[in-house]
Amino acid sequence: MPETLPTREAGFVDPKALMAIRSLELRARVVVEGFWSGLHRSPYHGFSVEFTEYRPYSQGEDTRYLDWRLYARSDRFYIKKFEDETNLRCHLVVDLSRSMGYKSLAYSKADYARTFAATLAWFLHGQGDAVGLFSFDERVRDYLPARHRHGHLRQLMLALESEPAGRATHLAEPLRRVAELSRKRGLIVLISDLLAPVDELEQHLARLTAAGHEMVVFQVLDPNELAFQFQNAMLFHDIESERDVYIDPDAARVSYQRRLREHGEGVQAICRKLGFAFNQITTDRPMDLALLDFLRGRARRGKLVRRRSQRAST
Amino acid sequence: MNFLSPWFLLGAAAVAGPIVFHLIRRAARERVTFSSLMFLRPTPPRAVRRSKLEHIVLLLLRCICLLLLAAGFARPFFARDLLPPAQAQERRIILLVDASASMRREGLWQAAAAKAQDYLDKAAASDQIAVMAFDLQPRVLVSFADWNAWPESQRAGLARQRLATASPGWMGTHLGAALTGAAEQFRENSITRREIVLITDLQEGAKMDGLQGYSWPAGTLVKVERVEAKPQSDAGLEILEPAAVAAGMEDAIHVRVANAGDSRKEKFRLGWDGAKDSMEVYLTPGQTRTFTAPKPPAGLKSGALKLAGGDLSYGGVSYYAAPEIQRVAICCEGLGLPIDPSGMLYYLQRVFPGTPRRQIAFTPRLDPSANFAVIASNLPPDEIASWHTWLENGKTALLVLTGADSGPTLAGLLGWPDAQVTEAGGDFGLLGSIDFQHPIFAPFDDPRFSDFSQIHFWKRRRWEIPASAQARVLARFDDGSPALAQAPVKKGNLLVLASGWSPADSQLAVSSKFPPLMETMLDWSGAGAPARFQFRTGDAIPSPVLTGEPVHWQRPDGRRSTLAAGAAFTETDAPGVYKADFLGQQRLFAVNVPLEESRTAPISPDELARLGVPLKWDSEQAAASARIQQRRLQDTELENRQKLWRWLIAAALAITFVDIVLGGWLARRPAAADAKT
Repeated sequence: MPETLPTREAGFVDPKALMAIRSLELRARVVVEGFWSGLHRSPYHGFSVEFTEYRPYSQGEDTRYLDWRLYARSDRFYIKKFEDETNLRCHLVVDLSRSMGYKSLAYSKADYARTFAATLAWFLHGQGDAVGLFSFDERVRDYLPARHRHGHLRQLMLALESEPAGRATHLAEPLRRVAELSRKRGLIVLISDLLAPVDELEQHLARLTAAGHEMVVFQVLDPNELAFQFQNAMLFHDIESERDVYIDPDAARVSYQRRLREHGEGVQAICRKLGFAFNQITTDRPMDLALLDFLRGRARRGKLVRRRSQRAST
Repeated sequence: MNFLSPWFLLGAAAVAGPIVFHLIRRAARERVTFSSLMFLRPTPPRAVRRSKLEHIVLLLLRCICLLLLAAGFARPFFARDLLPPAQAQERRIILLVDASASMRREGLWQAAAAKAQDYLDKAAASDQIAVMAFDLQPRVLVSFADWNAWPESQRAGLARQRLATASPGWMGTHLGAALTGAAEQFRENSITRREIVLITDLQEGAKMDGLQGYSWPAGTLVKVERVEAKPQSDAGLEILEPAAVAAGMEDAIHVRVANAGDSRKEKFRLGWDGAKDSMEVYLTPGQTRTFTAPKPPAGLKSGALKLAGGDLSYGGVSYYAAPEIQRVAICCEGLGLPIDPSGMLYYLQRVFPGTPRRQIAFTPRLDPSANFAVIASNLPPDEIASWHTWLENGKTALLVLTGADSGPTLAGLLGWPDAQVTEAGGDFGLLGSIDFQHPIFAPFDDPRFSDFSQIHFWKRRRWEIPASAQARVLARFDDGSPALAQAPVKKGNLLVLASGWSPADSQLAVSSKFPPLMETMLDWSGAGAPARFQFRTGDAIPSPVLTGEPVHWQRPDGRRSTLAAGAAFTETDAPGVYKADFLGQQRLFAVNVPLEESRTAPISPDELARLGVPLKWDSEQAAASARIQQRRLQDTELENRQKLWRWLIAAALAITFVDIVLGGWLARRPAAADAKT
């Protein structure tokens, strides 16, 4: 397949054309093009070794960053400013279980999720953020710690390339591992179809919240998973459990959609309660828009945090 | 059309399967992979309406295929009757009625006669019936020839009259001989429906030998009609013939007591008839034990030993005849001294040792009362005459030719005018031919004992038997000259031996043949006594003498008969003490019912079946089931020949093939149609 750059119509990249690009890195680059202005903020105050400037201390500022030596020499209070090497530590948690292999379009949910993850990674890396990766099915399969180094992005792309293999989607175990491995506070982006019971989800997400992480949840679904557009009664083969069930779609559609909706609402309610952003995206949604969803979510979050900090200061 | 396994036709119900499957609208061949079924519930299959039945042709093909399979497995065949129709066939029936002693028990014989009568009355006109009674031997009461000769209307009545003449005797039961004897009656006739109706008490004491391995005439069936006696405790006893008795035990009388298997008693008392003393014997039912009988009253010549304590309908008594001590006198003329091993008397005395039952006296000269004589010397003329007279009175002597000068003695004893005796030349002589038909050599008539060729005769005499003389040569030397000859002298006999048994003459005395040969000579002379005094009913009592005067016999019921000497007495048909008078002597013999007849517990007819007797099944039901079995066999045979199932299975396979092809075509058709559009 010729790897031609997809055209931007109405400002968005057509996902079908995007997915035709074989290289994950290239896909990410295409999407990220033009999104360099960061709208997010680091949860850390600048703290690095690379000194940039001094500025005079004004009352009320944190005294931690006062340069006491300079004060000793000049009897003036100066604040020492450094260029933050790391603005943000972001972990992408990508579901690569078999259920993600389902596709009604030319590409599967897993393809979409990978591309989206790669896009985010590329975008964040370009901003100078450290990006890490967890890929999981019923357990964590690949783990790359959040770093901002030369070559790290390529390693991350390679890890994302692996095909969905796991038998089942279990969020509990991978989330527990994420909480264990990412000790430093940061952003966690969960990209999954979330086709798993929600019973223990709240507990594990709460643990991440308690560790000080911010979290954004993307539920990736195939359009046909929402619409359930099948014509004839036939045997439905569960991609994960290998179970065959005879189902008449006309009879089952309504109840299926209701249950799916209830499930989505359940997850959303949990996220709201814990203060996470929840986005449901279908695989036919342009990736730019998905990225925009992410950035908007970050912007809202930033305002929210700013408001909180202002309240705290007053 | 019939079916060998009709229950397989139930498989035809399986046609409901295809019909239901065709009614159910389920495109099960379509299959789609879906991410998760966690929000889906299985849809129950829905039936379409009758008007929506799909693929009628396929459905029909599948139904026909299943029907053919079911029919094939049911193994159909066209019925044809191969069996001959069951019709009344000509039959030959032998009513074999047990008339042994055990049938004397209360009511048994009447029951047996009634059963036989029943068969006679029910006989079809085409049936031929013979009636036989048996104990130790079967005997014909009504033969098939009699039956056929009689007018048809009188047959049953006449046969009944003949049957009434029979009654159970005192004999034992030989079931084997009776059955085989009856079966032999069928041999000469071509009618193949043969039936023996055995009417018996089937007691365990019956002898069965001769049945196993007997080849029964084709079509013979044996039907057992058992008559049952009322339960009783039978026991019997039998005095044993004294065998080799130990010293000091000569007077002991051993008695064998048997208790019937179904007896309810275990204790009996054993004692002599008329004596007060008795002893208690204990034996469990079915057991047979041997006891030492109480001492008989002193000087008892004959008597009866009785067993008391059971329902001893006919057993319970055993007659006893005291064995006589036989005194045998043997005259020995010219045999030398008893202590001289080079003489002949030395050896003769060792051949005839005294026993508790027989005392032998050797007298050196002629004794008129002697039974047997051995002469080995040349007699003076006056003595020859007295010896000749002695012989003429029915005595037997053995003359040993000692030399060429024995001629006058030989001629004188035989009453011949002259006899030439010469010494035979040559090295030695061996016995060439022996007449084993003669009583003296008869005991040796067996390949194990008949080899006399090892005995060397160093010295022998040759003599000629005149053609006119009635002499019989019993043994000849290898050169053809007589070695031992027997010549009658009026009532008596002279045995002439052409060589002696002293070591100088021959090896005869040191041969193992010598003692039995001399013993048979003594027996043949009549000097030896029959060793037995106890007999069973049906046994033949050997004559106490083999030569001489006739023997007068007296039965226990007083009837008398006279038989020639040597002829055995065979009319021992009742138990008791038989008397034989001969030569002024009287000898007693006891005859008893066989002990086996006391073992009256009935056996199962299966015992007969085990011995290969072709038993007829008892009931009509069994016969019907046999018929059904035969019909089934015939059906199997017919089905095997016709093999219709092959065609049905082949047709089912062909239809399956058509179904597959048609089904495939139908399945592809919509796809092709879609492709066109």
